Amino acid sequence: MKSRPSIFLGIIAILVSALVFLVPFAFIILTAFKNKQQATLLDFSWPDGFHLWSNIVEVVTTRNWMMVTAFINSTILTVASVTLLVVFAAMVGFVLARRKTRWNGLIEFLILAGLMIPPAVVPTIWLLQGIGLFGKLHGLVLIEVAYGLPFSIILYRAFIATIPRELDEAAIIDGARPFDVFFRIILPLLWPVTVTNIVVQSVGVFNDFTNPLYYLPGNANATVQLTLYNFQSQFNTSYNLLFTNILLITIPPLLVFLFFNRHIVAGMTAGAVKG
Amino acid sequence: MTVLSEAGSAPTHGGRRAIRRSPYPGWFFLPAALIYGVLFLAPTFASLYFSLTRWTLFNSTFIGLDNFAQFFREPFLVQGLVNTVLYAAITSGLKVVLGMLLALLLTSAIMGRGYLRSVVFFPVLVSTVGVGITFTVLMHPTQGMINETLALFGIKGPGWLVDPRLALFSVALVDVWKGVGLATVIYIAGIVAIPKDYYEAARIDGATRWQNFLYVTLPLSRPATATVIILSFIGGLRTFDLIWAMTRGGPGFASDTIASVIYKQYQAGFYGLSTAGNVVLFVLIGILVVPLTMFLNRKQGHE
Amino acid sequence: MAGLELKSLRKSYGEVEVIKGVDLSVTHGEFVVFVGPSGCGKSTLLRMIAGLEEITGGDLIIGDKRCNDVEPRDRGIAMVFQSYALYPHMSVYDNVGFGLKLARAPKEVRDQKVREAARILQMEHLLDRKPSQLSGGQRQRVAIGRAIVRQPEVFLFDEPLSNLDAALRVDMRMELSKLHHDLGATMIYVTHDQVEAMTLADKIVVLNAGVVQQVGSPIELYQRPANLFVAGFIGSPKMNFVELSVEEVGTDTVTVSGKDIGPTTVPADPTSLKPGDAVTLGIRPHDLTHQSSGNLVGEVSLVERLGNETNVSLRLPSGAAWLAVLDGDHELRIGQSLPLSFAPARAVIFNASGIALHRKHTGPQIPGSIAEA
Ligand SMILES: Nc1ncnc2c1ncn2[C@@H]1O[C@H](COP(=O)(O)OP(=O)(O)OP(=O)(O)O)[C@@H](O)[C@H]1O
Ligand SMILES: [Mg+2]
Repeated sequence: MKSRPSIFLGIIAILVSALVFLVPFAFIILTAFKNKQQATLLDFSWPDGFHLWSNIVEVVTTRNWMMVTAFINSTILTVASVTLLVVFAAMVGFVLARRKTRWNGLIEFLILAGLMIPPAVVPTIWLLQGIGLFGKLHGLVLIEVAYGLPFSIILYRAFIATIPRELDEAAIIDGARPFDVFFRIILPLLWPVTVTNIVVQSVGVFNDFTNPLYYLPGNANATVQLTLYNFQSQFNTSYNLLFTNILLITIPPLLVFLFFNRHIVAGMTAGAVKG
Repeated sequence: MTVLSEAGSAPTHGGRRAIRRSPYPGWFFLPAALIYGVLFLAPTFASLYFSLTRWTLFNSTFIGLDNFAQFFREPFLVQGLVNTVLYAAITSGLKVVLGMLLALLLTSAIMGRGYLRSVVFFPVLVSTVGVGITFTVLMHPTQGMINETLALFGIKGPGWLVDPRLALFSVALVDVWKGVGLATVIYIAGIVAIPKDYYEAARIDGATRWQNFLYVTLPLSRPATATVIILSFIGGLRTFDLIWAMTRGGPGFASDTIASVIYKQYQAGFYGLSTAGNVVLFVLIGILVVPLTMFLNRKQGHE
Repeated sequence: MAGLELKSLRKSYGEVEVIKGVDLSVTHGEFVVFVGPSGCGKSTLLRMIAGLEEITGGDLIIGDKRCNDVEPRDRGIAMVFQSYALYPHMSVYDNVGFGLKLARAPKEVRDQKVREAARILQMEHLLDRKPSQLSGGQRQRVAIGRAIVRQPEVFLFDEPLSNLDAALRVDMRMELSKLHHDLGATMIYVTHDQVEAMTLADKIVVLNAGVVQQVGSPIELYQRPANLFVAGFIGSPKMNFVELSVEEVGTDTVTVSGKDIGPTTVPADPTSLKPGDAVTLGIRPHDLTHQSSGNLVGEVSLVERLGNETNVSLRLPSGAAWLAVLDGDHELRIGQSLPLSFAPARAVIFNASGIALHRKHTGPQIPGSIAEA
């Protein structure tokens, strides 16, 4: 049954996949190249001229360079929350995998609950207001950390369970304190799963729309997803600009995809199979 | 006897004072526990109380189960509830079937396999809002590319997002378009992990391709199936961003789900009602997902 | 200068007691080997000494300091693990130097010590490699090197050679022996392997189910096992046993007989015996000879001819399965009856509770004898 690659089936699959999966992206790109009049037609035609650059300039400069602010905000949000996630989740995964106590059951239950239960938004807003973090970028960072922890912990715990405990013990005998054991022995060995975590979580945080919508109202510190959402009504008639915007915010995930495809797939399946 | 003397002598040695620290310090939990506890667990517990109140964020009046009563009385809220379950069922069902088929195709010796895998998976990574906006345009009833293409073949395309009977399904289709890549990848991982021996044994027994699938691949990729179903079912129940980007729950309340209702009530300032929606969503997830998980895992155990 | 003193050391996991009061003293420079069947608590005991397992009861004294609650790094010990436990992300050089780095030793000191250890173990050319680029034997060397640089008073080894192939195991065994000689440090060594135990040890500790069965030099354990367990455990192939009853009690002999063996007078300490008591007689397979006028007869059930010797499996009339290792080549048929004999002085008599009744002089160490001393 495993003979030569099936050419016929392959061609059909490639055509169908192109139609289903590539045409929407082609549409985004084509529209981003068009001028306003042509874009309004919403059709799959070749652009009359090269308007991408002027579209980009207009999108970026509109509303007082809001797009630039948004990119900066999204970058800060992503970098900060993923950094915290990686360190905190690895610490929890480490102790959780290594130390068996009667609390482990409860902790694991809470982690699973975190994967399933949607956050209670209004009480969260109330709480954030109480501690002065509502509408603040660093408040949202902590929110993303809180919501991302269960997944990252599960990834880390599964990986740490495969690192022999004798390694810790050898380090302890060598004179390592708990801090050294974690930061000098375990954390460096976690690199593969850390890359996975970074990639998967940063795509998730960068693309997050719901949490910024709730917890980061106002234009001052909007993220790119919010900006796109706001432009949707403003650019109602300028589809070229709307799609230029979509194109711009698709670039970061595209880059991640090109460089880390393997890690994303590994992470998503690992986390999914465990969870 | 020895135990007694040991217990007596220990303090004089002064050893007990230096209780050795575990190499796995409990305080490693602290940062994560603090963030998770304050920003996730506390609001979740608080929601149980606030769902029973009329709430302005500054003060709350206890009104018992009124919010919940309203949830099950108002037709548009009830519809949101039904829509949510429907949406989750459709998307997870389609993702299982299509994901399985795609994975079978993409694990066979087919031309352009790497390209196909990438193309199917890429939408998973793209902004949901971006996808939503793009498909809103593509699904435009008159100018949209989909209906214009159908018109070329003389078919009058439906009003995907403007027809109240269709809006929810249209959004669900886009959800499947965006998410099927993940299901496929999970299935691929599951299928690749099936030991080759089984297929060889089946071949010696003279199994056809179809029998191979039915008696080897299907049962042995059951863990993947369980994962895909649970993951996409939970995802479906919680979906907000795609629906909000495409229809805002409309037309009317035709494509409202609990998550969009929560947002609408929040915007309208009905914080107690919004929070009650959250509690309804927890309960829904609890009563649907927990038995589902148990069912899928039980099946897994007996093979 | 560090000896080691274990005083009724105990370890429980919850309700289950795994180490049930171990007393042992080790003098400085001794090579002590723990042997015992799987799961008897050898590793646990070693790890208690290392500080990797909490001590539930008793005292652990290293040098002259009570170490129950002392951190592993302050106990003056180093440990070599069965799986080597090399840090995969560090070069051999860094692996060996890690402990010194943690102790904040100056760079030159560290470098000098690492190179010295590498020289002793002849692995200077490996220093830049990662553990994954080493063979099993080389990894083992690195693990030992890591122990050496700490200049510990006590080396602890948990089955360090069990992952190596047979030939390499023999080489490493000799190197360890040499290392012990050169360093003069105390070494405690856990193994399954009889040969390792017999060849390396100054002193063997036989454990069973968390209890010390006997402590003594290898030959002492072989010749004067304290009880049935030690007799059966030490020596390969295993000692043969047969159940008999006492006929007559002499001053330092006892005459026994039974279904399988006619009246035989064996040297033993008979003070606790009286005629009619049930006893067990033990005799090693090598001590059996093929003689037409033997004092026992068995039915041959399997023959392995090795040329220089012949292993014969036998069934005695009572049904006991025995093994005889006969010098030279013997042509034997399965099913034939084979008369055998042995020198009575070679036999060991065990009383009904399994305690060996050796003649008094140079008394063997039996459980509790250290505590009594
Ligand atoms: N963490 C634990 N919890 C409960 N029981 C344990 C634990 N660790 C070990 N044991 C038990 O303690 C006993 C002794 O274990 P130990 O590892 O010391 O045996 P061992 O003599 O080293 O065996 P082996 O020769 O197989 O390595 C075993 O019966 C084991 O089941
Ligand atoms: Mg062991």
